[in-house]
Amino acid sequence: MTATMQPKSEAAEAPRRGKRTPGTGENTRPRRGPMQFGHWWWALPGIALVFAIHYVATGIGGFFAFTNWTGIGSFKITGWANFEAIFKDPTKLGALSNTLFLAFGSVLLGNIAGLVIALGLNRVLKTRYILRTLFFMPVVLSPLATAYIWKYIFDFDGPLNAFLTAIGAGDQAKPWLADPQWAIWTVLVVLVWSSTGFAMVIFMAGLAGVPVDVEEAAAIDGANLWQRFRNVTLPAIRPAVAIATTLGIVQGLRVFDPIMALTGGGPAGATETLATLVYKQAFALGNFGGGAALALVLAAIILIFAVLQQRLTRSNPED
Amino acid sequence: MKSERLDMTQHRRNSGLKVGALAVPTVAALILTGCSASTGSSSSSGGSQEFSLSFATSNTIESPFQVLAENYMKSHPNVKITFNPQPNDSYDQTLRTQLQAGNASDVVVTSPGSGTGRSILPLVQAGFLEPLDDAAKQLLPEGSASTFGSDGKVYGQATEITISALVSNETAADAAGGFPADYSSLQQQCKALESSGKSLFALAGSAPPNTGLMAMSLAASRVYAEDPKWNDKRAAKETTFAGSDGWKAALEAVNTLKDAGCFQKGAAGGGFDAITKGLASGTSLSGFIPAPSWKQLQSAAGGSQFAVRPFPAEQGSGKSYVFASANYAFSINAASKNKDAAKAFLDWAAQPEQTKAFAEIDGALPVSGLDKYDFDGGAYKNVGGLIKDGKYGPLPNIQWPNSAVYDALATGVQGIITGQKSPDQVLQAMDAAWEQ
Repeated sequence: MTATMQPKSEAAEAPRRGKRTPGTGENTRPRRGPMQFGHWWWALPGIALVFAIHYVATGIGGFFAFTNWTGIGSFKITGWANFEAIFKDPTKLGALSNTLFLAFGSVLLGNIAGLVIALGLNRVLKTRYILRTLFFMPVVLSPLATAYIWKYIFDFDGPLNAFLTAIGAGDQAKPWLADPQWAIWTVLVVLVWSSTGFAMVIFMAGLAGVPVDVEEAAAIDGANLWQRFRNVTLPAIRPAVAIATTLGIVQGLRVFDPIMALTGGGPAGATETLATLVYKQAFALGNFGGGAALALVLAAIILIFAVLQQRLTRSNPED
Repeated sequence: MKSERLDMTQHRRNSGLKVGALAVPTVAALILTGCSASTGSSSSSGGSQEFSLSFATSNTIESPFQVLAENYMKSHPNVKITFNPQPNDSYDQTLRTQLQAGNASDVVVTSPGSGTGRSILPLVQAGFLEPLDDAAKQLLPEGSASTFGSDGKVYGQATEITISALVSNETAADAAGGFPADYSSLQQQCKALESSGKSLFALAGSAPPNTGLMAMSLAASRVYAEDPKWNDKRAAKETTFAGSDGWKAALEAVNTLKDAGCFQKGAAGGGFDAITKGLASGTSLSGFIPAPSWKQLQSAAGGSQFAVRPFPAEQGSGKSYVFASANYAFSINAASKNKDAAKAFLDWAAQPEQTKAFAEIDGALPVSGLDKYDFDGGAYKNVGGLIKDGKYGPLPNIQWPNSAVYDALATGVQGIITGQKSPDQVLQAMDAAWEQ
């Protein structure tokens, strides 16, 4: 610990040495701890870039939601027409329900799986470090690249159908990603697979803070495994649950690349989400205004669910 | 003194950092906005013999546009062309973004009409394209002036005539007893092929452009053979997709083909690789792909002969019909600083020997001299008669008002194949998209 702190305190000393007249007593001047190091305007480049790239760009994009711009040439301000079109169109409402299904489905299943794995790999298992790495791997790998591997697995001529045929279930073989009933579940499997590792890491960090002696005390008092989990572990990792589910919802609502690579929103819109629709409207169909309006709706939905999620899972109501 | 000097240093360092703090975002902003000020290529002094060319590429085979431009550089040693190839799936968006930003290439490859992102009419409306001269006007395919410009001006120079029908593996078709001559024998052959583990058609069911092209091929004999001006009537609101018996029959034929086992197994989830693999290996006899692909398939599948065929019509109906149109054109960026060099290239490309050479490189038909073209013995022998009899028209979606109509057709046909949608629903969606 001391070793890691050392460079920090040295760095904090450096400007002080330059500014100070040698020989003056250290204790005559007010101490400037490491927290005072730096000036507010040092953040200006970052603030300016974030402002220009995030807020100005988003603001301009938001403005185009109220126009009929096609992506080129001139445009007219059309008021709320783009938003009216969204809520009148059944395909867009279908995309909204797909978005919510995939977001909540992946959060629920991904977090349950992540928690189970985190509990399993928390202390006892000898191979836990290797297994943690393996379970975390999907988070690190490119979602686009892994989506193509999954696409190959679910392909009609792919390994999954070959396996089904090999075990004598050949009649169950189907083009998984082009089957109107199965496509969205197939996409959900991939999303859960990719989000489990992330939830696992957050839960493991939470579990590291659960005091062993409390658990032992509960065990001595006769609490069984479930009671210990329900009454000791879970309350202790509640902040981790809040973070994992909130990030999962935000990530799930805006998921784009795996769906684009797996199904492109097909078959016939069965796996279309708001994010893939935004892309299609704005960039493939040249309806930039409509795409921007959809993006605003998506942003509003993400905001609402993120706030709701935070309120539901916060550990202390006075927070 | 020392303290003062040190404080001064510190103060200077502070101001230096302040300047730096302000300079970073300023420079970043300049770089960001500077992008829009630069042009695709530098204009050279004294007559600008240098220009840039943007085109779409979709595979590893050398683009015919690049080969043509390289030939131009060989015959004109003082000219330097900078190539800006773009992946086909992002070409439209890249082109529009660059034109909007003012840094597109001097010569860009566009498409006639307004049905795609690279279509000429919306780009002209936005003021991005330069009107072309007589050489381009002379290459206009008959009856397509309205898709290459407006007010008597032409903004695109047609490069070749592309047939959109079927490309067939003739070697595999001969082995299966020949390609079906009419619609009813086609259904019988589908069943026979299915029982031997093969298919008459390879379909990329998950790739909307392919399902859309299939539906249009089915509409050729059912809609456009009878009424080549159907699109004009739709534009004048004299008819609708949902109210057209021909279009209804075309989409119902999708179900007929599916039920007869005409598509490969798992066709609904197939990508373009399903077509190339199926046709090259001969497990599928044909596919709904643009005709020039015959040449690429033939070179990929050594030993098999490939040809272009119309979709078989009802026996004795006399309604065989193909789509033959200039689907790609050269246009000049209105913001180009090298318009003279670009125009000189277009004039050269319009010469009969160059249009012929271009068609040969790409495996398409030449944009000029089609009436004298020798169809016999080549890949186009099965459609030669139709072309000579005038039984052809432009690809329908070129004349449709926006890309959403074709998207509704293409994704709708995917829905018909998977059982999610009925032909009527798809046609209604196309009408709704038309009115957008």
